[in-house]
Amino acid sequence: MTAYVLRRLLHGIPIILGVTIVTFILFHVFGGNPIASFLGKNATLADIAAMEKEYGFDKSLPLQYLDYLYQIIRFDFGRSFATREPVVDMIISGVGPSLSLTLPALLLTSLISVSIALVSAFFRGQLVDRLLVFLAVIGMSVSFLVYIVLGQYLLAFKLPLFQIHGYEAGFIDRWQYLSLPIIVMVVVGTGYDTRFYRSVMVEETTKDYIVTAFAKGLSRRRVMFVHMLKNASLPIITRMMISVPFLVTGSLLLESFFGIPGMGNMLLTALDQADLPVIKAYTVVISILFVLSNITTDVLYAIFDPRVKLS
Amino acid sequence: MADRHPTHIYQLLFSSNMKPPEYWGRASFAMSDVPQNWSSEATIPAPKASGYQARIAHELEAASVDPLPSSGRIDLFCSRQDTAMSDAKKGPLREFLASQIFVGSSGKILSHIGNMAQGFLRARRQKRAMTTISPKNTTHLDSVAVTAGDRRKPNLALVGTIAVIFLATANCKQTDPNEIGKKILHMPLRSKVSSLDPVRGGTSYSSLAQSVVYEALFEYDYLARPLRLIPRLLEAMPSVDPSKTIYEFTLKKGINFQDDPCFPNGKGREITSNDVFFSMKRMADRANSPKGWWIYNDRIVGFDEFRAKQDERPVGAPFNFDEPVEGFEIIDDYRFRIHLKQPFPQFTYILAMQYTAIVSREAVEYYKEEFDSHPVGTGPFRLVKWIRGSKLIFEKNPTFREEFYPSPPPSALGNVDPSLYQAAGKRIPFLDGIVMYVYEQDQPMWLKFRAKDLDYSQVPAEYFDSIYCPNGNLRSQLSADGIQNYNLELIDFIYRGFNMEDPIWGGFGNGKLLRQAVSLATDINEINDAFYNNTCVVYDGPIPPGLDGYKKGILSPYRGPQIDKAKALLVKAGYPNGKGLPPLVFETSRGGNSQEQGDMLARQLKAIGVELLPNYNSFPELDRKLKRKKAQFFSLAWGTDYPDAENNLALFYGPNEAPGSNNFNYKNPAYDALYEKIRTMDPSAERTAIYEKMRDMVIEDVPAYGSMARIRYYVWNSRLKNMFPEETWYGWHKYLDVEVEP
Repeated sequence: MTAYVLRRLLHGIPIILGVTIVTFILFHVFGGNPIASFLGKNATLADIAAMEKEYGFDKSLPLQYLDYLYQIIRFDFGRSFATREPVVDMIISGVGPSLSLTLPALLLTSLISVSIALVSAFFRGQLVDRLLVFLAVIGMSVSFLVYIVLGQYLLAFKLPLFQIHGYEAGFIDRWQYLSLPIIVMVVVGTGYDTRFYRSVMVEETTKDYIVTAFAKGLSRRRVMFVHMLKNASLPIITRMMISVPFLVTGSLLLESFFGIPGMGNMLLTALDQADLPVIKAYTVVISILFVLSNITTDVLYAIFDPRVKLS
Repeated sequence: MADRHPTHIYQLLFSSNMKPPEYWGRASFAMSDVPQNWSSEATIPAPKASGYQARIAHELEAASVDPLPSSGRIDLFCSRQDTAMSDAKKGPLREFLASQIFVGSSGKILSHIGNMAQGFLRARRQKRAMTTISPKNTTHLDSVAVTAGDRRKPNLALVGTIAVIFLATANCKQTDPNEIGKKILHMPLRSKVSSLDPVRGGTSYSSLAQSVVYEALFEYDYLARPLRLIPRLLEAMPSVDPSKTIYEFTLKKGINFQDDPCFPNGKGREITSNDVFFSMKRMADRANSPKGWWIYNDRIVGFDEFRAKQDERPVGAPFNFDEPVEGFEIIDDYRFRIHLKQPFPQFTYILAMQYTAIVSREAVEYYKEEFDSHPVGTGPFRLVKWIRGSKLIFEKNPTFREEFYPSPPPSALGNVDPSLYQAAGKRIPFLDGIVMYVYEQDQPMWLKFRAKDLDYSQVPAEYFDSIYCPNGNLRSQLSADGIQNYNLELIDFIYRGFNMEDPIWGGFGNGKLLRQAVSLATDINEINDAFYNNTCVVYDGPIPPGLDGYKKGILSPYRGPQIDKAKALLVKAGYPNGKGLPPLVFETSRGGNSQEQGDMLARQLKAIGVELLPNYNSFPELDRKLKRKKAQFFSLAWGTDYPDAENNLALFYGPNEAPGSNNFNYKNPAYDALYEKIRTMDPSAERTAIYEKMRDMVIEDVPAYGSMARIRYYVWNSRLKNMFPEETWYGWHKYLDVEVEP
């Protein structure tokens, strides 16, 4: 397995390089040089030239790309154009708030949607199933923004059960601000995930072992919640693992609307301001996380399903 | 009966099409390569009478093995009481096993989660009978490798605990225990603060945040309208020599920097003339990426040369702040002179800008790269905490000098709300602290204001109709809640501009006729109504309301919509009904309602046969096109830096062409000559007349048209006192007062 993981890690390098090339071309060739806009409305040519030199924009494109690769190797992406903060520090400070939002949301979403999917499959074709599918479709069809706007207005302002907006750095203090965005994330995510897990569960119900279990005389509940759930674990693991990079990247909308200083908020600002060092670092981090999560998914497959051999 | 720990995980499934009763009997299962006692057996029942096919599920129980093996091998034996199974009969069963055996093991994941969740998941032991296999008459059928794990069931306590955490942490409006009994102002920032370093804080919200900590030499009279400049850190307004190029300043005595570890013993020292020049020199240091160098550029004797010399220093050599500047003259610790290259009447306005706030050398050198987030100024508040992108918390500066709320003579009251004078003569600041919250979306800001979590707010455009009656008064419900309001006319120049170097739309020949036609075809009032709730002031030319040179009413003969006149100009330009005229590319910023505005403008111009191609850019993209003279037609806004129209008229001064502030690349020698004349003139009727003449030149040549000035609508809750908002400067927060937190 170690050899397999190492091999996959090596295979991930060209993928990351590909991402860096695309990012670099997009922002340096097509996007051009954003320096001037950071120096204010009356920047002189000399001011612009000086900052270009500081950030290496005066070098040829291949040399700039090599600089970029060197930054990746050292995991030092320099300083933000906009705030002058070290980009790595910005990422480190953004990951915590993002994870505080996304990790509980993922766990809750998975727990709830798997449970609903099981119930739905349990009552397949019946009123309960149809109702749950209907609710799931509603959940996934309504825009994220609607939940945010309604959640803030009804649950936080009118009732008021939650904080409307804000964030605290303390681990305990932050939850009063995160509760509502987590609920919004869970509601939207549950719609999507329930549909997916239900189809997985329904597919499982057609398998021979289920018929066998029923033939053996096991109760329906036991068959569904014990045997079938085990067999459906692989798609659940896969879906959860796919979500791992997004845990770190956070949520652009939620973080922006609820004032959570996470990675999503950071990216939104960086995109808005064409803050290249931040965008480049963010892209690299995400591509690395994707590669790692893919490898981890494969390894978990092999661990949990002996039919899968890592070779 | 033996304890089985911690439950089974293996599930074997097999079936056979073979006819009974040949193979039905006892089947046994055993784990190999693992500790003993991993065995089980089950009876394979006869198929139902309806057919010969049987599907049998069997759950193999794990025996009490601790720790559980993570992998192993399952062997299937068939043991019959009568005879050993013949090879011919083993085949079909073996084949079946190879394809159907399944091992469930999701419990492993749950186990890990359970460990991490520190007890949220708890194992439940199951007790099952254990049987052993008899070696007699047993035939080994097949082996399958398996992976094991203990299955732990999630305790319902998990769900309950999460719910409790949510309920306990959610809610509600709570007063911070640290704020009880204190006067804390809660206010919004509608954008992130990028820096707390004065030379780098280019945005208005960065300037606002800095303004409570740092102070410039001048400020504006809080209660005077129109704005009036007054000394802040100075004893009096500077004396100016007859040549109007030498300004002599005298600092107030006893103004100290805030206490901070950067000073010996943490005790802030008194500011001196050296601090003023040190702060100005920081603007020359490119390492700071200063955004305001333009305010000093080509103004002060020897300052440009000083900067050039620093630029040429060897790589790695520090910026030499001790290098003298010819135009900086220190008389003593409190008195200093600045020598200008030529008269610049707006110089004192410059010295009221946040860029020029006084910083201490000790703090800059102590905090180095972190100086950005460690402001050490002379202002009424000091930074306690900054959660970037979220909020800034300031507390009262205990060493702030003795300063008082303005108390002008009654004759000077004018139209200002008399309640603003109730605090006259009292010592400031009244507040114990300020909390600034960052809102990048309008809804949460407005809801927080309505929940009284914010003491004041600007009115977001989409809420305008629900807040104001058609006559402009607050709706009764808000008035009943004690909310007060103030409509601040910004010194704003929102416009549509042309690149005067464009071969078709530029110049002073046919291009001028085309620009005039476009202006005539545009209905700015419709745009104002549709996108600004009719709240902007529409005017002609580059001088906004509130400044010398502004005149109310329609001044431009090219104010639209006048479709017939526009069509006539197109005919005159050689493009009847727009025939032969290539599309006009409209560069504008992305976001907000830009797209809808572009669509409306395109529709309006279509009436005269001009095709508009809107192109939506991020602001840096748009800025880049402007700096490279690549924007044919564009939409932009200019926030006037100081209350003098000279600042706006400079936008059309030829030498300021792109990448300077003259985005239009407008070059009119007569206009340039007038600009060179007025920029050294003191305010006077003669200067105002020239301003008007220059304004009319811009109106006639139409490098820009469709001018609008925004009105900012401020509202505040009854708890807040002394509110008189202004956006030319932000230091007025020191005059605010709030009722004590209950």
